[in-house]
Amino acid sequence: MKILIADDDPLSRRLLERTLQRPGYEITVVENGKEALDNICRSEGPRLALLDWVMPELDGPAVCRAVRKRSDLNYVYMVLLTSKQSKEETVLGLESGADDYLTKPFNSEELRARLRVGERILLLEDRLVEARENMRFRATHDTLTSLLNRGAVLDLLARELHRSYREDKSAAILLGDVDHFKRVNDEFGHVIGDQVLIEIANRLIGAVRSYDFVGRYGGEEFLVVLNSCDPTYAPGRAEEIRRSVSQKPILTAKGPLTVTMSFGILQSAEWGQKSLEELLHATDDALYEAKAAGRDCLRIAKPPAPIDLPTVSPKSMRQRR
Amino acid sequence: MKLLHENLAPPVWNLGELLARVDNDQELLRELISIFKEEFPQSLRSLQTAVATADWKKVASLSHTLKGMLSNLGGTRVAAAASSLEALASAGEQSSAKDALELLEREAASLVPEINAYMTEVRG
Repeated sequence: MKILIADDDPLSRRLLERTLQRPGYEITVVENGKEALDNICRSEGPRLALLDWVMPELDGPAVCRAVRKRSDLNYVYMVLLTSKQSKEETVLGLESGADDYLTKPFNSEELRARLRVGERILLLEDRLVEARENMRFRATHDTLTSLLNRGAVLDLLARELHRSYREDKSAAILLGDVDHFKRVNDEFGHVIGDQVLIEIANRLIGAVRSYDFVGRYGGEEFLVVLNSCDPTYAPGRAEEIRRSVSQKPILTAKGPLTVTMSFGILQSAEWGQKSLEELLHATDDALYEAKAAGRDCLRIAKPPAPIDLPTVSPKSMRQRR
Repeated sequence: MKLLHENLAPPVWNLGELLARVDNDQELLRELISIFKEEFPQSLRSLQTAVATADWKKVASLSHTLKGMLSNLGGTRVAAAASSLEALASAGEQSSAKDALELLEREAASLVPEINAYMTEVRG
């Protein structure tokens, strides 16, 4: 565990350093409050800090206040060290954002015990952050395939749409549907159907670049957004993505299965100032054409026509489906 | 009664407390003493100058730092003197501050020989 020691008195610095070397802390020692603040704010900076109250540049409470203002930092557990002992000063120190308060001369056992309290708090924070990240992942990803879920991929697409209006960057929307997926489920059961969907997701992810998005749009429907994609190459890239699914049989518990997909593609040159629903509608029409043309192929969408009747926002559209 | 009185009076140098603080690490103890011997005369001179030039803000800050150093070293009485000097300088009680500096100097004068004696003893 990294710890910062900030004290202007060389004797205190050395004493603290040695006291904390024994329990195996990774120690950084600085002489004033400004250096302390710089250190804490570094990425991967220490999350435990022992700050002397009276220091040149910035005093301990000022460091605490500055750290607490930074919402981008992980929690930093700060202990003020001081020979000030009045109740008013204790209150002032804690109100500045310090977690604990130790008076000089300190007792080494007590100091280490108080730092262990700090470590417990930090461990608790780590667990909460991890749990939050897990929740965030679950809220934005499909449980079966771990792809982005419908809501998340539509959010990203909406953002991309606004970006394409602002900047002159080409992108493309691909909507794909597994051909005759019902037959897979009917013949081999849902467990095999799930295996097929997982493998398709893997193949799609493998076929795109890291800055493209792939999401599970519906049951066996997938939405791919190709970002910064040269219009000349977009249909070719879409073909590659389509073939990445069908070129090799999918190995399942009930033997190898060849699965094909049909795709519709809509390039940003055709987006105009259309809404997300209009664009998805046009892409879906192209997908329908691909199905009608015998499946296992790609169709390029025509410029989207305005949708009649009440326009729905992407949000309400998502909620409806 | 005499014994009780002796127990209550803070020692010039609280070696026992210091040894506990350094976890009985003699090497660290020697190191701290050498830091003290290097830093203290300089700090004391700056403090004397600040008192002489009536720079009370500086007196308060210097005596505060000295108080921290001395109390960590177990120099209980001289730390207490530094503490009163800090308080008096902050309160602007200038004539008493001069007395407090004299007290600090006297206490330091009795602390240093004790430390030196100990160092001679441990070196054997």
